[in-house]
Amino acid sequence: MTHRILLIDDDERIRTALRLALEDEGYVIDEAGSGEEAMNVFNAHAADIVLIDVMLPGMSGFDTCRMLRRVSDVPVIMVTARSDTHDVVAGLEAGADDYVAKPVVAKELAARIRALLRRARTPGQTSAVMEFGDLEIIPDEGTVKRRGEELHLTRTEFRLLCELAGSPGRVFSREALLEKVWGYGYFGDGRLVDVHVRRLRTKVEFDAANPVHVQTVRGLGYKLAP
Amino acid sequence: MMPSAQGGKRRNLKRLAQRQVLGLRNRVVLFFVLGSTLLSLVLSVSTYVLVSRTLIDQRETLAERQAYINATILRPGLRTTNASGQVEIDVPTQLRRLQNPTGTETIVAVGDQFYSSDPLNFSHNVLPEKLRQRVLEGQPARMRFSIGDRSFVAIGVPIPSVGATYFDVTALDEVDRSLSALLTTLVLVSLVTALVGALVGRWSSRTVLRPLGEAATAAEAIVAGNRSARLTLDGDADMDRLVLSFNRMVDDMQGRIARDARFASDVSHELRSPLMTLASGISVLQARRSELPARSQTALDLLADEVTRFQRMVQDLLEISRADADQQDLALDEVLAGEFVERVVEAYERSIDVHGDEDTLNAVLAVDKRRMERVIGNLIENADRYAGGVTAITLRDVGQDIQIVVDDCGPGVPEDERDRIFERFARGSEARARASGEGTGLGLSLVAEHVALHHGSVWVENRPEGGARFIVQLPKVDS
Repeated sequence: MTHRILLIDDDERIRTALRLALEDEGYVIDEAGSGEEAMNVFNAHAADIVLIDVMLPGMSGFDTCRMLRRVSDVPVIMVTARSDTHDVVAGLEAGADDYVAKPVVAKELAARIRALLRRARTPGQTSAVMEFGDLEIIPDEGTVKRRGEELHLTRTEFRLLCELAGSPGRVFSREALLEKVWGYGYFGDGRLVDVHVRRLRTKVEFDAANPVHVQTVRGLGYKLAP
Repeated sequence: MMPSAQGGKRRNLKRLAQRQVLGLRNRVVLFFVLGSTLLSLVLSVSTYVLVSRTLIDQRETLAERQAYINATILRPGLRTTNASGQVEIDVPTQLRRLQNPTGTETIVAVGDQFYSSDPLNFSHNVLPEKLRQRVLEGQPARMRFSIGDRSFVAIGVPIPSVGATYFDVTALDEVDRSLSALLTTLVLVSLVTALVGALVGRWSSRTVLRPLGEAATAAEAIVAGNRSARLTLDGDADMDRLVLSFNRMVDDMQGRIARDARFASDVSHELRSPLMTLASGISVLQARRSELPARSQTALDLLADEVTRFQRMVQDLLEISRADADQQDLALDEVLAGEFVERVVEAYERSIDVHGDEDTLNAVLAVDKRRMERVIGNLIENADRYAGGVTAITLRDVGQDIQIVVDDCGPGVPEDERDRIFERFARGSEARARASGEGTGLGLSLVAEHVALHHGSVWVENRPEGGARFIVQLPKVDS
């Protein structure tokens, strides 16, 4: 099965070069030069992965991502200017699943795309329905309900929740979660975990500032309260 | 022309160094001590002179008056005639009638005969010759003289009516005692004045130099990397000029540094998009490498290598301009020193042994993993490039800090290049020139920047066994 990738970048040469490189990896590529155009392209052909350059003229990359999130939980990779400024956190908070920093090598980008697609397919280890207080996780359907009401989680958030739910009460280090959910090694960016946990909380907790389910264990990592 | 100008400069510097040996503060203190000593010396000397003159004068006047009184008392006694009408003089008896104050003795000359009220201690020989002659010639006189360390005043009054001459000698012991007490007091006062001068000098030099100290502290802070350090205005017109110009200078400098950093950063940013296009294009070509003729393959390989290097250079430049611009975005994680270094070695696909005792390996460091990975990784790659690879990495515990010691067995780094190799685009001379094609010239400067961000330090030494030894020292986290 071939996957569709939507490339959003205002630089046509980058789009062409990336398209050629990613087509070599066996993907079908759609292109968009702006956020507005991207929404139209996406509506015409739903992509499996969306690549957004942060610096877009008009609607910014962050806004485009937020806009996209309103209509879809498609995995999004942000192409940021730098790896350690606010761009990364802002991109992740806008709903991106992962990021790569410019200038990115096609090979590295392809690896990130593969990791995200794998995540999108495998729902988790267990398929039994799990309950945590008012939360109900149904791995087979890929849904989470709170008091019977379905919550809209992105696939990465869902995968993160499933990882934690796999061993309730056990503390997962950021490194462990990075490896299990994102496929990164020891040197992965811990902010990926932090921002996703934060976003997960805004969805599964009543009061994200005082989380009941997804708890922080100071200096060690995160756990899901059994 | 040049060498002499340089020589002159060097001499000037030397002279400057010699002149500055005392230091401004000490010089101020010295001036105060000298000034106060001089002042008290002048005062003391004039006081002493004035007081001694007055005291001696008084004493002499007193003695003179006494002498006239005594002479008057003696005169009738020296005229006594006996029954046979002959003049008969019993001078010693006459002398006993006098009531001299202690310390005053009388000597009377009748004809060429001298009589003393204390013949044992005072004969006429003690009288100064000059005085004796003058008085014997008929003129009253007085004169000061000393015997041993005692001083005396001698007064002579001729009594012509009886053909006698009156002398007396008064010891000035009392005056001497007063004067020596005065001298002691004055010396003590001078010493105290000098001391007070020193204290006042120290206090005032400290007060005057405090702004200078503050300026020095601020300058040191700026050198150490705290570019927000400034002086504060304290309402002193003289100092405020310095403060304002100092602050303006630092602002200017900071602005220039920021502009430089922004320029490097802007250039690098602009380079990234074309680089991404280049790299992606090349990867497309590489996928079809086997379809290309041999010459094109070689050209493609060259392109690919250079673009990769170019890309790393731009990344390094961005990283460095970031290190310039902002110290805030350090993402610190606590890691075990040994595990961390082993992970880096693993990530760089090397088989380098990591040594160190158990406690050291388990020491906790707070590091920005991505940055510190680059630090160790750059040192590993640096050794690959110039020294045939890392032979061992050792962790050492040096109290508050952990040292990560990276050894190689290459040619080592000459002493005069050891600081310079951490500068941007600085490459070592001979040994390094050979391999210059591969590096970005930024690797070690990035190491230095990142380590400094972690409040650590990095330097290079030569191993006793040969080869270079890079040492990264990072503060331990108390656990």
